[in-house]
Amino acid sequence: MDRDLLRQSVSCHGPNLFSLLKCEQSENPDFKYVAANGQYREDKEDDSPVVEQFIARKADLLFAPSWKFTAPEEDDWQEATQELYAVIPPLEQFMDVPYEERRDIFYRDVERGDMVIGRITSIRDFGFFVSLICTAGGLERDIEDLEITGLCPIRDVPSSGNHDDPLSYFLIGDLIRAGVKDIDRYHEKLTISLYSSSLAPNFNKIKLGVISKEELPLHYIRGEKVASDSSETYERLLESSLGFSNPSNVDYLLGNLGIIDTKSPSLMRGLQSKHFKEDDFASAIRKKQSASWALKCVKAGVDHFKSGRHVEAMNEYNKALEIDTNNVEALVARGALYATKGSLVKAISDFELALDTCPTHRNAKKYLCQTLVERGGQLEEEEKLVTAEGLYKKAIALDNTFQEAEDALRKLQALIQKTLKRKAEEAAREEKPQATETSAEKLRKILREEKSGDSMLSASRKKSKKRKHKRRRSSHSSKKRKRRVSSRDDRTTEDKEEHYPVPANTSASFINHKGALTKLIDEEGGDEDPRGSYGKNRAEDSRGRSEDYRPSRSPEADSGKGRWQFSDRPEDPVLTGVNGGEREAYRARRISDDSIRSHQEGSGSSRHAVSKMDFLSSAYSEHSLKLDGPMKDTSWQAASEERSEGGGRERKDRAREDCGSNRGADGKDRRLSSGDGNRASAGSQKKDLPANLLDIFNQIAEFEKERKQKK
Amino acid sequence: MEAARSAHVSGPREQRGEENADGKDSSNDAKTHFRVCRFIIETGVKLDMRSVPVATACALYHKFFQTASLQIFEPYLVAMSSIYLAGKVEEQHLRTRDIINVCHRYFHPGSDPLELDSKFWEMRDSIVQCELLILRQLNFQVSFEHPHKYLLHYLLSVRNLLNRHAWSRTPIAETAWALLKDSYHGPVCVHHRPQHLALAALYLAMHTYGVQVPGGEREWWQILCEDITRAQIEAIMTELLQLYDMEAKCT
Repeated sequence: MDRDLLRQSVSCHGPNLFSLLKCEQSENPDFKYVAANGQYREDKEDDSPVVEQFIARKADLLFAPSWKFTAPEEDDWQEATQELYAVIPPLEQFMDVPYEERRDIFYRDVERGDMVIGRITSIRDFGFFVSLICTAGGLERDIEDLEITGLCPIRDVPSSGNHDDPLSYFLIGDLIRAGVKDIDRYHEKLTISLYSSSLAPNFNKIKLGVISKEELPLHYIRGEKVASDSSETYERLLESSLGFSNPSNVDYLLGNLGIIDTKSPSLMRGLQSKHFKEDDFASAIRKKQSASWALKCVKAGVDHFKSGRHVEAMNEYNKALEIDTNNVEALVARGALYATKGSLVKAISDFELALDTCPTHRNAKKYLCQTLVERGGQLEEEEKLVTAEGLYKKAIALDNTFQEAEDALRKLQALIQKTLKRKAEEAAREEKPQATETSAEKLRKILREEKSGDSMLSASRKKSKKRKHKRRRSSHSSKKRKRRVSSRDDRTTEDKEEHYPVPANTSASFINHKGALTKLIDEEGGDEDPRGSYGKNRAEDSRGRSEDYRPSRSPEADSGKGRWQFSDRPEDPVLTGVNGGEREAYRARRISDDSIRSHQEGSGSSRHAVSKMDFLSSAYSEHSLKLDGPMKDTSWQAASEERSEGGGRERKDRAREDCGSNRGADGKDRRLSSGDGNRASAGSQKKDLPANLLDIFNQIAEFEKERKQKK
Repeated sequence: MEAARSAHVSGPREQRGEENADGKDSSNDAKTHFRVCRFIIETGVKLDMRSVPVATACALYHKFFQTASLQIFEPYLVAMSSIYLAGKVEEQHLRTRDIINVCHRYFHPGSDPLELDSKFWEMRDSIVQCELLILRQLNFQVSFEHPHKYLLHYLLSVRNLLNRHAWSRTPIAETAWALLKDSYHGPVCVHHRPQHLALAALYLAMHTYGVQVPGGEREWWQILCEDITRAQIEAIMTELLQLYDMEAKCT
């Protein structure tokens, strides 16, 4: 018990309370101390026995040190612009407290750092005198008629900038807001200052100095009204204030007074906070209940899964996760279902989420390892060797007894070494011939393209011809696609979906001079579709290989990098030349991919594919960007935007690499997806050498400009 | 409290209900009301309800049983529905699922959370139907003027009267707030004006700690509320303090 409080109370109430306390609280050491040392005055008339009984009984609660909450840290105080609660003039005014008493208590209570407002009464050469009219900033007293004067010495008046006497700025009768700098309580003298440093820290923002009548505090203004109109009672004033009807004034004032509403204690013995158990609270019960309801759904789902009804199983798992997000069992079960169906990336993400919540879940770890290794294998096939390596390492980190992972890792590392060597050799070989060829070819292609571009403009947008890229794009964008043969029906639906034209408002609006190229590219995009389907057809032999060959036209929609359209049309004038030489080089590298290439032959874009593959494999990470599920239309738009950008294939590559590296495991899948509307547009654009492409685009731009000028 | 679990609201109450002399019956009633209000306030704490919605819930309960009979209506069900209704009225919406969970655990401590079965849905239906019943019984007048905001404004005014250090070491605000919240165990809230109740709580808090307030022509409490007399304040204080005595008898 707080001894001071206790003593104060006892001394106020007298011997009755004392004796009662003796009965009730005789055991308490604090009481004994006070009993020994306290003095109390005689009985007062208005002592109420009931109150004393109450105090005696509840003394241990009432005087407990923990009963008093510490006031919250005061934020910067500011004059309330809106009335959040009813502001009432000081009670002193209503009570008609006598002059002397008010003066006394003012000098008792005022402290350094308070704000006061007053009127200048006289200006001397050492400063000016202010007659206070009210307090501001928290302390509210009725002091106007108390004739309290404060001196503001000249050194506390900030200079006005020019070298005049700062006091000349002030006139008699000005309203001044100042901070109390010093108090001499005995002599009843006050020193005030116009510097902000004299104020308490929470008054930082308040401007000191001359103020206008509008800036007077509300309680003073109301006080004036009360003084003039004696029929204004406290109650009337309270109820007529706007702030009183503010529905949240209770919460605001509770904060102001430092009481926390939901935890404020009670004086009832049974309601003390120690009697409440954490488990009985609504939120705790709800969590347990959600987990148990979700578990039921998961069990039903597992039954479905075991009987082969995968769709119902997925429904049950999703239901479970709706009831209880991040439910570990549901996530693991759903991950297993994904893995079985082949959506390894989704499976991996589910397992990881489950392990976040519960790092020791045995099944989650086991399944995750297996899935990682499987996925690594897939990536290997797709030549994304570095990512695959990362995955294997991760699997080993999770469970270092997993032999398969270690084996796979070793094999992969050997393969990487070989590939790197090969690449270096080929690069050395291929550089020279490429350089010379490209520049001449480039120009020729550009000229040809211009001529054909005009004619093609009208025929643009015939996407129906070339669906390959669209399909591929769509297949990428919707991650839910399963790569197995069984997902063929998906494909067909996707095809249909892709057959809507590029939204007119996107790229078209951006493009003016690039219009021709864009349309050209659009048209060409159709070529890609067969390839897309090709990709899917390969589903059975490659666990994800098909995706590799999709044009990695992941539109970096956001970055709006120049987008290269993969175009299947060999006759694409623009880029064929450029790509030609490079294609050879890449083809050489891709010996193993011959089979795949032959598939693409049909579309005549085999070379494209090769180059693409190269591009893809070398920068698989790049594709990872927009994989997360950009819708086809968005990818379309993105594609269009990219088209308008032109050039910057290089930029795109870089961006992809950046994005890709961020993606890590998840991105692997998405490589190509991001639905790039890269409908390979015009011709066989090759993304092989970024520099070349950049040049080409620039040249195209120039030519188009010229053409327009000619027109 | 098996009756609370079933869907029907009316039905003979086997719990208490000896037909004794009125006095004993009414004192039993008072104890029941106390217990049910204690249930409401406890549930409010577990549901993280603010003070004003809890006050509304108790006020609804008291007002309901001013005109209804305990023989006919199951008080705990009425309590649960008043909590639900109060959440809506005071804009702190509560889910019936949470209310049912907390109440179920109150009656069956340590039990597992309920399953989503027919019993759960029946209980939920009961609460919703009882809510409509309460509304009709109260003539759809369910918004109350609570003493809380009066008390807070009074506290602000009194704070300005006192020396800031005296204020910060004396827990007047907390005590007054606790007194006000505890007053909802009994029907004090519906028998008196909110201003009077707020003032009585503050008066009691001030007197508990023996705080010295400057005197003037009129007392501070006379200013805060014009039409109250000291006798009235004392009467309310007595009622409040009786509630604390009742706690000892009931629990």
